Amino acid sequence: MRVLVVEDYEPLARSLAQGLREAAYAVDVTGDGAAALELARTNAYDALVLDLMVPKLDGLSVLRRLRADGSRAGVLIITARDQVPDRVGALDLGADDYLVKPFAFEELLARLRAVIRRRYGAAENLVRVGDLELDGAARTVKRGGRAIALSAREFALLEYLALRRGQVVTRTEIWEHVYDFAAEPSSNVVDVYVGYLRRKLGDGEGGAARLIQTHRGLGYALEAPEPT
Amino acid sequence: MRRSLRFRLAVSVVAVVAAALVALSLVLHAVFARALVRQFDARLLGDAVAIAGMAEEDMHAPEFEAESLPEFERPVRPAYFEAWLDDGRVLARSPSLNAADLRRTAPGAGVDVILPDGRAGRAIHVRQPLRVEDEPGPPRVSKQFVTVAVARGTEEVAGTLASVRLWMLALALLTLFGASAAALVAVSLGLRSTRALAVEIADLDAARLDRALVAHGLPDEIGPVVAKINELLARVRESLAREKRFTADVSHELRTPLAALRTTLDVTASRERSPAEYRAAIDQVNVVTQQMQALCENLLSLARLDAGPVAVRPTDVALRALVQSCWHLFEGGARARGLRFENDVDADARVATDPDQLRVIVSNLLSNATAYTASGGTIRARGNGDRLEVHDSGPPIPPEVLPHIFERFFRGDAMRSDGVHCGIGLALVRGVADALGLRVAAENTADGGVAFTVSLR
Repeated sequence: MRVLVVEDYEPLARSLAQGLREAAYAVDVTGDGAAALELARTNAYDALVLDLMVPKLDGLSVLRRLRADGSRAGVLIITARDQVPDRVGALDLGADDYLVKPFAFEELLARLRAVIRRRYGAAENLVRVGDLELDGAARTVKRGGRAIALSAREFALLEYLALRRGQVVTRTEIWEHVYDFAAEPSSNVVDVYVGYLRRKLGDGEGGAARLIQTHRGLGYALEAPEPT
Repeated sequence: MRRSLRFRLAVSVVAVVAAALVALSLVLHAVFARALVRQFDARLLGDAVAIAGMAEEDMHAPEFEAESLPEFERPVRPAYFEAWLDDGRVLARSPSLNAADLRRTAPGAGVDVILPDGRAGRAIHVRQPLRVEDEPGPPRVSKQFVTVAVARGTEEVAGTLASVRLWMLALALLTLFGASAAALVAVSLGLRSTRALAVEIADLDAARLDRALVAHGLPDEIGPVVAKINELLARVRESLAREKRFTADVSHELRTPLAALRTTLDVTASRERSPAEYRAAIDQVNVVTQQMQALCENLLSLARLDAGPVAVRPTDVALRALVQSCWHLFEGGARARGLRFENDVDADARVATDPDQLRVIVSNLLSNATAYTASGGTIRARGNGDRLEVHDSGPPIPPEVLPHIFERFFRGDAMRSDGVHCGIGLALVRGVADALGLRVAAENTADGGVAFTVSLR
């Protein structure tokens, strides 16, 4: 899942980015509102972590213009303003959630997960596809009851496929939602990671069903095979 | 009560009306008395002429044909007359006169006398030729003169005057009472609406200062007071709003670095890390903590400035060393942003001032330069015993911002959240400089940078 952190206080922005990356998010960071709006317009972010008081364009204006553009990215406001009218104003403008500084990072992660989950129409963190079980909160993956250790990027890839299970997901979409600007672009990086993931999941090996389907020329889809 | 409008108005009304009434009464009394006395004298004259007419020359011998004059004969409060010839021979006298003699009363048209029975009265003398009675031949004028003195008691005049005085006093008192009562009622009616105003004012509290007072039904005289109160309310509102904004800003400025501390610690503690990662986290926590400390110190200094005069303990300060020690606080942050610092203050520059206060000024100027100078720029401190300049390589301060840069809570940008720049630092610089009697100024320099100057003398 790809997240844009809009926070002008460098130490906070840096720690947020580090923590989110370690939680398998693809993270971009900006310190001002104008740049945030530009980035959000040109990239398919799953969510924005938005500070209200940022220079050049304040957070509420960023939110208002994003929603006016029809953006449906999840927006989690983080702010030092703790008054009820501030919260109501932000939520009414289309924010999905609101966190008052300072906050526990665990809580930010939980709220961010919920924001993104809602965006993909999921009600809970646990996704099951065939004998595969993915827990977004605990960040664990099990296949046939056996725990599988994944790297952050592999987890992110699988989580994205899982949230859009049953749909064909293009390589571009995967690139947009799983990789941030820090990632080196290359023509087959997505295919390489799908390969890693299949190997770790033992997908289609040793009698296990093949859950990650390749749709030639289109992309990939995570789905349980039709029972034959 | 003494200060009450009603009391003061009543006193002045009573005083003025009383003075006017006294003057009026004196004049009226005098006019009345004069008229009464004239009337009295005219009657005396009538009596005297009538009595003189009773004296006639009969065959060249004067004789008095007395007629009945009951007023002059009664025993109680009688009138008096006496008629005599020029040679002093008494021709006639009233029975009431007894042994007394009216010849000694002063002659004239009408004079105050003491009557023989001791009463106050007035007397009049009339001298005329004797009447010539029924003589054959051409009428002639007698060569003999008779003088008649008539005196009467003036009890009636005195009585009339006394009753006039009584009426005047009664009317005066009535007028006085009426005027004061009318004044009191008018003032009370006028002031009744001020009670509504008082209720309105009592209703005001900090939460409801947004309402202005309505001068509805108030006398015109109270209007300006209400207007002034409303102006005062507006000023109080403004100052409260500023305080509120300040509290919100301070809350923001403390919450943001606190959020950074907590997030850094949460994220760092979430898994085992390499010593280098721990080191980086500790460095970051250190920087944030220092910024929070600087903010707290600024807030405290500001509170102290507001609380009253700052204690200034001047000593001999080595300027270059002071600048260098202030810079230590910002070294880390400056290095992170690729800023260079040059301390070009004269090595022998010394200033007689309070080192702690000067440190507040220098620290905040350096902090400001560190925060606003574009990455990769240079901050240079220059100075001698007369002035200290903190120059940075820019960007310049926008011209519309420059005049306000030392104002409290003023923010050039929508918001800076680096923990020390919520419109306190430079306001503090100016406040402390004022306390020390120094001048501070900010200007954009020709090379595109910004120079903050402190005049040290």
